[in-house]
Amino acid sequence: MFSSTGGDTGAGTREGIVIPAARGKPGADTDNHTFLVCRTVRSGQRFKYPGNVVVMGDVHPGGEIVASGHVIVMGTLRGVVHAGAEGDEKAVVMAFRLQPTQLRIAGYITRAPDDEGQNGTGEPEIARVQDEAVVIEKYQPGGEKRWLSRSMIQEEEEQNG
Amino acid sequence: MGEVIVITSGKGGVGKTTTTANLGTGLASLGKKVVLVDTDIGLRNLDVVMGLENRIVYDLLDVVEGRCRLKQALIKDKRLENLYLLPANQTRDKTAVSRQQMIDLMAQLREEYEFVLIDCPAGIEMGFKNAIAGAEKALVVTTPEVAAVRDADRIIGLLEAAEMEAPRLIINRLRPDMVRKGDMMDIEDMLEILAIDLIGVVPEDEYIVISTNRGEPAVLDRHSRAGQAYRNISRRLLGEEVPFLNWEAGSSFMARLRKLIGLG
Repeated sequence: MFSSTGGDTGAGTREGIVIPAARGKPGADTDNHTFLVCRTVRSGQRFKYPGNVVVMGDVHPGGEIVASGHVIVMGTLRGVVHAGAEGDEKAVVMAFRLQPTQLRIAGYITRAPDDEGQNGTGEPEIARVQDEAVVIEKYQPGGEKRWLSRSMIQEEEEQNG
Repeated sequence: MGEVIVITSGKGGVGKTTTTANLGTGLASLGKKVVLVDTDIGLRNLDVVMGLENRIVYDLLDVVEGRCRLKQALIKDKRLENLYLLPANQTRDKTAVSRQQMIDLMAQLREEYEFVLIDCPAGIEMGFKNAIAGAEKALVVTTPEVAAVRDADRIIGLLEAAEMEAPRLIINRLRPDMVRKGDMMDIEDMLEILAIDLIGVVPEDEYIVISTNRGEPAVLDRHSRAGQAYRNISRRLLGEEVPFLNWEAGSSFMARLRKLIGLG
């Protein structure tokens, strides 16, 4: 639905690239809409979206993704990601290679320890908030349902009474 | 009241950021309370050279636009207690701040810190003007190349026009072996052209590449030649009389240097 293509470097604009609000439910600040970024997010580029963000490419150091929902990077995440930026602690960050400069979920901020050179296992990993801390674990197909869809399931349950 | 010193050059790639990181670390290791300010908005590098990139939450723009308090944006160095960094914003450009905002910010910083070192962007446009706005002293960095010296001369003229205290010169990446052969400008040539006081000469040093890539300033490494030069400049900034190393010492140059740093 929304897509952003090359040409715009983000220089000179207020916050790099800011995507207009999703056409979700009226009155809802956030929704389950997902924005697809089909490019490499480079240094100085910033994507902000009131929903989920999927990047089909890498996020370079100095690049930033801010989403009120989940963030999935189909590539290497080396920049800064803020998932659940509106305060949703159930938001997750997933990447094929999770090596962020800094990882933020809701109000939690974390970074790799200084003594660690190349972190990451080379396998897809998922980060989420557990017991008031950001934990990173290997991504297991199927296991993600607990996290990725929890908010949706809850919503359904609420609707179904 | 602290000193506000801008590190500038005109030309890019001559070592402004490396110099800022090393002098700041050098001064802090001598016990001074130091803050480094990156004014290269949109092309920030000082955080990377200092190895503090992953600690950035707020930046200079957040401070001047009132989104956070100054203290929240200041990043404490991971090695030295009394060294702080105010990083630049990476998503916007030089027009995002005004001269007055920079003047106010520097006035605020100098209240608390003994040294405020400003890493200036290349060029003579808005970024440069903002960077020098709140500064009272300047260090001009040049390399022994005609183009860099030409740009340094232009910058010195602009600094004088801005009624700044007489800037002092740092000659970076000097290769004494090339100077001896007459293939590189020597120190006297540059001082004659630029007609300002010299505060230090930093020799070309492979270790600088390694240290900047690692995010560990060379000034902390006792075996680095450039690190020694930066330590000397730091002490001169404090008003100490430190004799210049004899960079034109012929073939015994390396031997002397080794002796100096305790290897020979």
